[in-house]
Amino acid sequence: MDSLEQTFNTIVKDYSERLFWHVRRMVNSHEDADDLLQDIFLKIWTALPSFRGEAQLYTWVWRIATNETLNHLRKERVRAALRMQSVDTEMERRIEADPYFNGTAAQRELAKALVRLPEKQRQVFVMRWWDELSYEEISAITGTSVGALKASYHIAQEKVKLNLSELDVSK
Amino acid sequence: MTKRNDISVPQGYFQNLEQRLSRIPQQEVRPSTFQKVSPWLAYAASLAILATVGGFVFRKAAAPVQEDYSWDYISYLSRSVDPDGVVELEENADLTDEDIVNFLLADNSISVELLAEANYEEDN
Repeated sequence: MDSLEQTFNTIVKDYSERLFWHVRRMVNSHEDADDLLQDIFLKIWTALPSFRGEAQLYTWVWRIATNETLNHLRKERVRAALRMQSVDTEMERRIEADPYFNGTAAQRELAKALVRLPEKQRQVFVMRWWDELSYEEISAITGTSVGALKASYHIAQEKVKLNLSELDVSK
Repeated sequence: MTKRNDISVPQGYFQNLEQRLSRIPQQEVRPSTFQKVSPWLAYAASLAILATVGGFVFRKAAAPVQEDYSWDYISYLSRSVDPDGVVELEENADLTDEDIVNFLLADNSISVELLAEANYEEDN
């Protein structure tokens, strides 16, 4: 096993589970998350020889994962539009029918409320709320300033609260 | 809202995932010759299309505008009235210009002003 492969295996060991949860919350499907994770790690492996270490490995890996996830969601949106369907409705249907979901009704509504956010806002919310990354970490990954991220998170939080208060499940 | 993991995974999923992902380096598919050259082929095709379209546009733009002063009632009318009516007119060779004008005015499909303009153009 060469050093590149060793580095790759370390990345798999250190990041696969954490990235799975990020992707899983973004795509709302276990199978899609599983497929997407394969693509993400294939990309990491392909790009690994060109990793120069200007960014931290942590930031670099997360950046690939978040970009691939956003690309996947954009493709889903286009595919849905071609079928004259709404991707949000499809996502909500997935959450309703998710066999791996075992949360409360309020948590299901939170997941649905997140679907209604624009993709980038949803990404910031998931990274902050579920992945528990700091604003500085999210900033390094997304290339967005901390101030803009705070504003984005605040707006996302308000939208989610509003969605949940309408359903009276915010407590 | 309390934050608690609300999604589960199949038993042993992460162990299995780690094993599958670790096999990626062995499964890596080397690109075929076509895959290697296809970006260059696409680049060459884009250049060829650009050159063809650009050349056509340039020739069109550079050519002097030649105005066509010859007036043809049928082509003029085909832009203004019901196409079926025009075909019918065209088929009837005995019709005079006067007949056509009367027909159009009676049909209310063309204004007198427009006809006058057409006559003016024809005279010139």
